[in-house]
Amino acid sequence: MADSEQDVAGEATAQTEADLSSSLHRQHSVLGGVALSTLSACGGGGNDEKPTLRDPSALPTACLSAGVAVALAACGGGTQPFEPMTEARAARLLNQGGLGSTPGQVTALVRDGGDAWFNAQLAMPLSPSVWDWARAQGYDNRLYARGDYGLDQALWWRLCTAQDVLRQRVVLALSELFVVSPLNMVAYWKQFACLAWWELLEQHCFGNFRDLLTHITLSPAMGVYLSMRGSSKADSSGRQPDENYARELLQLFTIGLTTLQPDGSPTSPPVDTYDGRAVSQLAKVFTGWDVDGFNPFDPEGPFDYLRVPMGFHADRHADTDKSVLGVNIPGQTPGPESMRLALDAVFNHPNVGFFIARQLIQRLVTSNPSKDYVWRVAMAFNSNGAPVPVRGDMAAVVRAVLADPEARPEITLPPASQPAPAQPTLSDGKLREPVLRLLQWLRLVNVSSTDGQWRFPDLSGSDQLGQAPLRSPSVFNFFRPGYVPPNTVIATKGLVAPEFQITNESSVMGYANFLLRIMPFGGNGILPNYDTWLAMADQPARLVDQLNLHLTGRVLSPITVDTVVVGVNSILGTSANERRNRVVAAFFLIMCCPEYLVQR
Amino acid sequence: MTSSDALSRRAFLQRGAAISLAGAAAPFALNLATMAEAAAQSSGSTDYKALVCVFLQGGNDHGNTLIPYDDGSHAAYAAARGGIALGRESLAATALSNNLGGRQLAMAPGLAPLKPLYDAGRLAWLLNIGPLVQPTTLAQYQARSVPLPAKLFSHNDQQSAWQSYGPEGSLAGWGGRSADAVLSSNGRASLTCINTSGNAVYLSGRTAVPYMVNPSGVPSLYALNGGLFGSATCEAAFRQLVTQTSQAHVLASEHARVMARAIDVNAQLQTAMGATPALATAFDGANPLANQLRMVAQLIAARDRLGMRRQVFFVSLPGFDLHDNLLSRHAVLLGQLASGLVSFQAALDELNVARNVTTFTASDFGRTLSSNGDGSDHGWGGHHLVMGGAVRGANLYGQLPNAGLGGESDTGQGRLLPTMGVQQLAGALGRWMGVSPTDLNAINPGLASFNAGTLSSLLTA
Repeated sequence: MADSEQDVAGEATAQTEADLSSSLHRQHSVLGGVALSTLSACGGGGNDEKPTLRDPSALPTACLSAGVAVALAACGGGTQPFEPMTEARAARLLNQGGLGSTPGQVTALVRDGGDAWFNAQLAMPLSPSVWDWARAQGYDNRLYARGDYGLDQALWWRLCTAQDVLRQRVVLALSELFVVSPLNMVAYWKQFACLAWWELLEQHCFGNFRDLLTHITLSPAMGVYLSMRGSSKADSSGRQPDENYARELLQLFTIGLTTLQPDGSPTSPPVDTYDGRAVSQLAKVFTGWDVDGFNPFDPEGPFDYLRVPMGFHADRHADTDKSVLGVNIPGQTPGPESMRLALDAVFNHPNVGFFIARQLIQRLVTSNPSKDYVWRVAMAFNSNGAPVPVRGDMAAVVRAVLADPEARPEITLPPASQPAPAQPTLSDGKLREPVLRLLQWLRLVNVSSTDGQWRFPDLSGSDQLGQAPLRSPSVFNFFRPGYVPPNTVIATKGLVAPEFQITNESSVMGYANFLLRIMPFGGNGILPNYDTWLAMADQPARLVDQLNLHLTGRVLSPITVDTVVVGVNSILGTSANERRNRVVAAFFLIMCCPEYLVQR
Repeated sequence: MTSSDALSRRAFLQRGAAISLAGAAAPFALNLATMAEAAAQSSGSTDYKALVCVFLQGGNDHGNTLIPYDDGSHAAYAAARGGIALGRESLAATALSNNLGGRQLAMAPGLAPLKPLYDAGRLAWLLNIGPLVQPTTLAQYQARSVPLPAKLFSHNDQQSAWQSYGPEGSLAGWGGRSADAVLSSNGRASLTCINTSGNAVYLSGRTAVPYMVNPSGVPSLYALNGGLFGSATCEAAFRQLVTQTSQAHVLASEHARVMARAIDVNAQLQTAMGATPALATAFDGANPLANQLRMVAQLIAARDRLGMRRQVFFVSLPGFDLHDNLLSRHAVLLGQLASGLVSFQAALDELNVARNVTTFTASDFGRTLSSNGDGSDHGWGGHHLVMGGAVRGANLYGQLPNAGLGGESDTGQGRLLPTMGVQQLAGALGRWMGVSPTDLNAINPGLASFNAGTLSSLLTA
């Protein structure tokens, strides 16, 4: 260690940048075993350099059990076309893959079709920087250095106004999978750390998952949140590498705890994907990284370091041999190269496709996808179906989630005369997340901020909305993908219902009360514009039908629609205030009713 | 239990079984009717017992909670912890007088407010407790020759293991199942298990369903305050829509059930709590745990008006996953814990129910003794406290692990192999609540394999 620390760090940072830019170029060579197998199932599509691609013995048993037709469908990976769009289907797609359905979007989607919409959304430029917006609003004032003031304003501004709705929806979903939160984050400028995180997800959510992994790993926000930042090699004081990020990267972000079979189901009996020793090994890989530019003598000063990948400090890196998921990394391997090898190993683990597929489906479409649905999306992860197939193409994965035949099953409504069943039988879709409910309303009422400050407070309390973007109480998100509400028919039927983890006697009342507080006139200068809907105030049936379309894709049963219409109609419609009450009542009644709360 | 009590309990259980057979779609009113009947059976009694689980979310660093204090032990501790060791001089005021074979312990300085409760015999420590399937030696652990809890060292799974003996996805916890066994004595079964910090499997039983009470108060629906938008018809439409439990979709039906329960039970809660005198005891309003414990004390104050005789509460304090900033953050968190517990015990004294309520801590896991520079990593066993008028306190129960690294309980870096199973604590608390030995063994798998004597004297009747 003859060089000064600064020199070592400088050299290492250059290596990091090389690592960042090289990861995409390496995609072809990092195709995992499952991806190769899939290609063989698809009868080619790769090039002839790899004869094993055509080896029939590589055909995964899942292909056989899932049926040839399904296997062939999966060859299209990220190229599954969308079904023809009706108004109702368009509204459902916009609620799954956007930030809510609105009249203009539905018209365009029915006219242009799902594929055109999807491709146009993929091609949309990034929205203006939330980081820059927050600075322009003055949230970079030293007064706010020790808190997170400005985070809610910036994110709700983004979610209310962004045009790249597919990207924002995916970012919201990914932010619940790769969780960073100002809660229990010990750092200065938490709001900017989190906004940098949001922008990181925006920049990479349609790119390659391997690339995303690198950026997540080197993010200062994640580095602070899961304490990889500053982790150092073992030393004579007994100090050990920090295991936090290594453990959660495996458990929560990529492969999970249980080994999956080629068809995506757990082995029986279950086999752990890794043990404590593996975590210790990976923790050694992640030693030596730190934010660059933090000034401990002026911690409330400039915070641009939150926006650049962490830098490498070779003197703190564990230089002993490591083994990560079966890949041996010799001790003398430079730290950035060790990280690249380790993340490659994680990326190529056969669990990843299924792990990401299931959770993205759960966030966007349904809590209980069929095994085949998960498998089809996982296959799109393993290979995007391009002439030179790529593993981990997130755009292909998102398309596979949203265009899948199971994403919007045909819904048959019971006739109005039919009484509700004694026992519920349907289980498609998911409980709508509170943040998504609010966004639907905000966008349907063309919400604006009179002072441009978008003064949303923290809405995560259970006497408010009960959820807010990037405000998870822990790295486990507001709810877990496998949550089962005990003592319910849901449990009896063997189903999961993640969003029920934040649903309880307190939250359901809190939500209804919150809506009633804000719906009439907004608040804090945030203003609903009901003009579109006031035009229908004299026709309650039409008003309710149009809101039913946009809020649910017309899945409310006739009897529920009738009940809402009766309620709306009972409000006198003479004065301007009464007419407004009718519109607000229509929104309120629909958005509280259980049939709406289930997104289908 | 008198024979007529036994009869009514049996009758209640039969009805309960009928309800579960009918499935979750059985009208909520039926549950209420059954409860009211049970209330009539139990009225006029002052018998009351409650458990309060204080869950330290994230994995409490036991190493800096109960600290080796005698010179030799502290030196070994300090050598193992390096930069995250607490200095011996900072522990003088909280040193415990107990002599454990020549060794001495001190409570963390942040827990100093609890020291008088300990000295008064109302607070005890459990040493190295954690999830186990059966008593396990280090050699057995290393050879994996006996069954071990699934998914060790993982937060969510070990939270679940502490609460329910199984990893995430378990459907019933030992708090809820203990409640199952005693809830027939309650006027309102729906208020047997109460959480104040979000859903936790600990409180779910086979029959018992946890009820969430917001620590800031019991709300009612604005929409039902008399004429929604000036229209009684609109209000009726709202009520019908949100409580419509007969649904074609399981998720919709369940949401309506939660709302129906909330409307009915919150109204009862408001009435009962409104008629109950306010507590004089002060709680720190800036302390999230104290706010929850104040609500629990207020609910306990209203127990007779609600017809409650057995209750289980769950409160929690987040932030214990201190891979970083251990020294500074842990002191703050333990300070909040101590402040909340001291106020709570004072409120119980005020209500004259100190002997009727037993409070204990639990956590995901203990942590490594080794430092990762600025904090500690996920471990397994840890030390926990039990507090209340029925506790034989000023005592430490269980086996004291090595002060430093190594020894018969160190699985590596000071991650403790527990020498006391969660079952043993659950068994002692359940027995105190009146759960029968048969039920205790059914609720707490493996209980019989542990030494029954370890905690047999923890609680007085």
